[in-house]
Order: sequence, then structure tokens, then C-alpha cells
Amino acid sequence: MTAIARRPLLALPAAALAAPAIPRAQGATEITVHYCQPFIFQASYDAITAAFARIEPSIRITYVTSPGYPEGAQWLLRQAATNQLPDLSFQGLNLARVFAERRIAQDLMPLILQGGSAASQGYSDALLALGRFEGYQAGLAYAASTAITYVNAELVRRAGFDPAALPADWDGHIRMAIALRERTGVDGMWFAWSEWMFQTLLLQHHGRMMTPDESDVAFDSPAGLATLRYHERFVAETGMPALNTNSAQQAFAAGRLGAFYWTTAVVRNFIQSVGRNFELRTATLPIVPGIPDGQLATGGACGMLTARDPAKREAAWRFLRFATSPEGQTLMVKNSGYVPCNQIAIDDPRWLSDFYRDNPLFRPATEQAGKMAPWYAFPGPNGVRITQAITNNISRVIERQATPEVALRDMAAEVRRLLPRRS
Amino acid sequence: MRGRPGRAEALAGILLSLPAGLSYLLLLLMPTLAAVLLAFTDYELGAPTIAWIGLGNFEELLEDPGFRVSLRNTLVYVGIVAPVSIAGALGLALLIESAARGRTLFRAVFFLPVVSLPVAMATAWQYLLHPTIGPVNAFLRDIGLSGPAWLTSSDTVLLSLAFIGIWEAIGFNLVLFMAGLTAIPRELHHAAEVDGVPSAWERFRLVTWPLLGPTTLFVVTITLIRAVRTFDSVAVLTQGGPNRASEVLLYTMYTEGFTFFRLGYSAAITLVFLVIVLALMLLQTRVLDRRVHYG
Repeated sequence: MTAIARRPLLALPAAALAAPAIPRAQGATEITVHYCQPFIFQASYDAITAAFARIEPSIRITYVTSPGYPEGAQWLLRQAATNQLPDLSFQGLNLARVFAERRIAQDLMPLILQGGSAASQGYSDALLALGRFEGYQAGLAYAASTAITYVNAELVRRAGFDPAALPADWDGHIRMAIALRERTGVDGMWFAWSEWMFQTLLLQHHGRMMTPDESDVAFDSPAGLATLRYHERFVAETGMPALNTNSAQQAFAAGRLGAFYWTTAVVRNFIQSVGRNFELRTATLPIVPGIPDGQLATGGACGMLTARDPAKREAAWRFLRFATSPEGQTLMVKNSGYVPCNQIAIDDPRWLSDFYRDNPLFRPATEQAGKMAPWYAFPGPNGVRITQAITNNISRVIERQATPEVALRDMAAEVRRLLPRRS
Repeated sequence: MRGRPGRAEALAGILLSLPAGLSYLLLLLMPTLAAVLLAFTDYELGAPTIAWIGLGNFEELLEDPGFRVSLRNTLVYVGIVAPVSIAGALGLALLIESAARGRTLFRAVFFLPVVSLPVAMATAWQYLLHPTIGPVNAFLRDIGLSGPAWLTSSDTVLLSLAFIGIWEAIGFNLVLFMAGLTAIPRELHHAAEVDGVPSAWERFRLVTWPLLGPTTLFVVTITLIRAVRTFDSVAVLTQGGPNRASEVLLYTMYTEGFTFFRLGYSAAITLVFLVIVLALMLLQTRVLDRRVHYG
């Protein structure tokens, strides 16, 4: 008896949940949107979704997230293999090439041009290049980040430098790190060495990862050697400690580290972890002496269209267009630490000037936005392994197990072995 | 007449074992077989094609310096963790067993690492072993030594991880040994004493050690297998770095499969791992089992 009586009771809440969906389903399009790193991005997507719902009430969005970029890329590949792709996916800029090469991401250029010229919508060529691979516009940049300088202003002052006017170039920063160590006793600097930071320093030297036709590596050059020499100098001259990004962040927040060179994406995390321990300042990344126009590798995410159904495809495109519009990008910037990926949002003061006035720590990355260059992604199936091979050889220099010359030679040899063979 | 109840009973037996059998087949045997088959292909996640390449993956494994480093690291790790955590646990178990007071306390203290969450504990270790703000190096500085960068220098990272591994394994082994010790009848010790075995060491060698045989065998096997499959501390603390100095077998398998998307190659590493574990189990059943004295 009881068992029978329970059933209608159980059905009630289910019916109540389903009921409001019925009238709304008429004419509504539901799309699935995937993105990575919700701990960094969720606030920005929530804000954009709310604003989008006001102008496109008939499009409803369901979100799927992955904890990090590699997991997100893996998830999307799996969905592609089982034919269960979402309609839109935001992927790491350096992993997007996989989806361009496998044509999982659709070409966005025709859709962009429907709205007039790309530049008139704020998609400058430099921004489009972040999601373009071999002429195929696989993604539209949603959030961009470059490396910036974080300093503990109090320690910098004690070392005899002005935190509001830091040295302009790396040699000056090395001198500052030495002074920090000698006068305050803490570690002077930590350069968050990685493949991304290697590319950043290489681009600052006007170097390239690969030849323009992608037939061979191009980093075994004077620029590449100079890049690794800087890594060696950081350790040899300033006594840069052996840390990883986690332990370095902890040391910085505890006031045991003077300067930290890493992505602007973590500016919010830094503000939180430093709290009121000391005065935190940010600045643009130092330049290589004599090369004021060197470029910077750009991290971040781009949106890629993966919907097959025409109605969903149209709806997903509208959402992507809104998310990368001046309005969407303004919301993204205010809810993360990233650089806007719409030239109008960058140039037109009505969008973000108030925000940057009130939040000066977010400013350096946008000030150096003109130097943004794509984070080069290697062709072929071994892209991530190549990244690892480069990182491993950098760590040999950092641990002083190999000279820059030897590490660069080995790095080039290992990368050549992993590149796709040209027929 | 006689056959019928027997057959019905057999049928009932089959039906009753069906759920377990099916889930074994679906959840264990078939995925393992699929992994074995994948190991002979070039399958990449998301790739449109898949081709049979025979022993290609294994040939690549033999030439892959990354895999060699990973295998060597695993052997070094097991070589440190297994003997120290087994011998240490036995010593501690004997000490605690002979203690007049505080047995429960000590057992709990040493067992705590086993019940704690490995990932959360790894974070605690990261703080303890932090090169500049960690208490370990702060203590070393106080006594005039400069501590190394435990987890971020390739000279010490494997040792640090092995130490954490020992810390995790010793409590588990300790509890197993203590259970084994309580199962040894006290009369045997008394009898040995009466028979003129006065020294504690001789009593241990002649009575305790042989009777602990089955426990020791189990502890050895389980510790070896647990050490071979270490993963969490590496994934949380070092990600295999710096420069592969802490890359172990399962972590290599994970990165090949889930970061580099090379599932075929990853499956080949899995197969190597399976072979090692099976060899250890064979060692248990064939070699050691014969020498063990089951009371």
C-alpha cells in the first residue's frame, strides 16, 4: 500500500520541475557551451550569460566545464570521437591547433564577415591571429594574458628602488634582484620558467619558434641562446631559488620573494593571497635591453564553434559573437584578470577606463597589449610532448646541469625528432 | 529424481554468481583486454583513424629516454619505500607490542597517514618542505644548515617523495604486523623461555619471525604493489619534474594518455605495469609461498 501511495508523491516534484520548461521550449534554442578553468572563468561567463539572456531571451545555455586546459582538450577530443560535441567550446590558445588541424572547430571567417569587416567589429588582425592556424580561423580569442611583473613594493623600496618606476629592462631587474637579496635577505626574483615564458622571452628577442614555412625549428638561433642565457643569469647572478609555481606563489605571498614574473591571469589570486601582508604592485614585463618593440607570447582561451545543427550553430555563434563583443569583453575583464580581446573595448574609453582607473593592478597587461603575439603551437600530433621537451631542457639550465649552448642544441634535436615528417 | 535438485542447485548457484561474474567481465576483464589490444595500435584520442602497429609501441618504449627514466625512478622509489616501510613497520610493531602503556595511542598515531586523504596530505608536505618558508628548512637554518629545495630540485625530489611514501605505508604495514603479532600464542614464547631461549632476539628469530611468515608475505606483496603504482603525490607535488626527476611509471602513463592523447602508447605502458604487478604476484604465490610456514 505504502509503496503505491508514494509514487504520485514522487511524481509531483518532477512534474513541477518539468512544467515551466514546456511553454518556454516553444521557439527556444538550447545550446551547450564548454569552457575550462571555472575557478578563474566562472564569474566572467556568469556575467556574460546574464547580459546575453537580456538581448537573446530565446537562447538557453547549458554549461559543461573542465578543470584545466589539457583536460578540456581531452574531453573535446573524446566528444568528437563519440559524436557528442558541444555547440561551442572555449579552449586554451596553445591547444586550439589540434582542433583546427582535425577540423573539429569550424571556420569562423564567413560568419564574422556577415557582420561587416572584421576590424569594424573590433576583431583586429592581431587578435584574429591568436585563433588562426594555417589561414584557418578556428577560434575567436575570448581572454588573453601576457606575462607581467609582480613586486613586493615594501621590499623593493628597502632595496633602494622605486616600485612606481621599476627598471625598464631585464638587466636592470637582475640588478634589482641582487640588491633585494643583499639588502633585505629575501630571494630577489622568481621567473616562472616554462615553455610559455621561454616563448615570451624569445619573442622579446625577436626570435621565432619555427621557420615561417614551419619546415624546421628556428629557436636554435642567437635569440634562442640569449633567451636561455637569461635563464642562466637569473639563477647564477640573483640566486633565483628552485621553486615551482605553487611554492613560488606561497613564498611571494609570505613576503619572502621580491619580484615575480608570470601571467596576468593570476592577478586576482595574487591580490587575494597577498591580502594585507604587504603592498602589491604590478608592472609591464621588462624588455630585453635595446629591443623596446619585442613581442610577448599570449596565453588565454578562444571560443570554437562545434555545433552541427543549423539552429544551434546560429545560436552558438550569436553567443560567441556577444562574448567577444566590446560589451562581453568588458564583463570578461571586470570578472577576471585577463586582457580584453576586442580592439574597441581596448581603445574606446567608455568601456573599461573607469575599471582600470579603480584597479591599477590590472593595467600593465593591457598597456602591453600592443605587443601580443600568438603563443606558437607546434604542428602535428606531438605538440604537447614538444612543450614538455622544451620545459625539460630549460630545467637543465635552471638547475645548472647544462650550459645554455648544450641545452639549446639538445632542445632543437628533441623537437626535430617530434615534429611531423615532411614528405 | 536425484539429478533434479542438483541441477536446480547448480542453476541457482550460477544465477547467484551471475551479477558478480558479469560485473567482473564488464568492469575488469573487458577493459583490461581492450587496453591490451590498444597497446598494439597507434590510437590517439580524437584521431579519425586507428591502425594495428604490432610491437611498434614497445619498440618505441625501448628507445624512449623518458620511459627509461620513469622506469628507473619507479625502481629506485620502490627500492627505498618497500624495505624501509616494511622493516620499519615490523620494528615499530614489536616496540609497540612490548610497550606496557600507550599501545592504542601509538597505533593510532602511526595509522593516521593511512586514513588521511593523500592529496590533502601532499599539500601539507608541500608546506613543510617548502624551500624558503617551510618549517623543515627553517629548523635547518636555525641549527646552521642550509636545507635543499626538497621537492623542486632534481637531486632530492625522489628522496623526498620516497620519504612521503614511507610515511604513508608504514602505518598500514604496522597495523598488519600488529594483527599478525597478536595471533601468535603467548604460550609459545613462554615455552621457548622454558626451553632455554633467554635472549629476546633468539625468541624473535625462532618463534615470532617464522610465525609472522604469512603476514610478512602479504605485507611485502602489498607494499611492493602499492609502491609501484604510486601516483597521487607525484601528480600533486611535482608533476614529474623537474626535468623528469620524479616521473614514475603511472604518471608517465597518465601524461602520455591524457596530456599527449597517445592512448595506444599509454596502453603499452599500462601493459608493462601489469606485467610488473603480475610478476610480483607470481613471486608471492610461487616462490615465497613455499617457504612460508603457515602455523
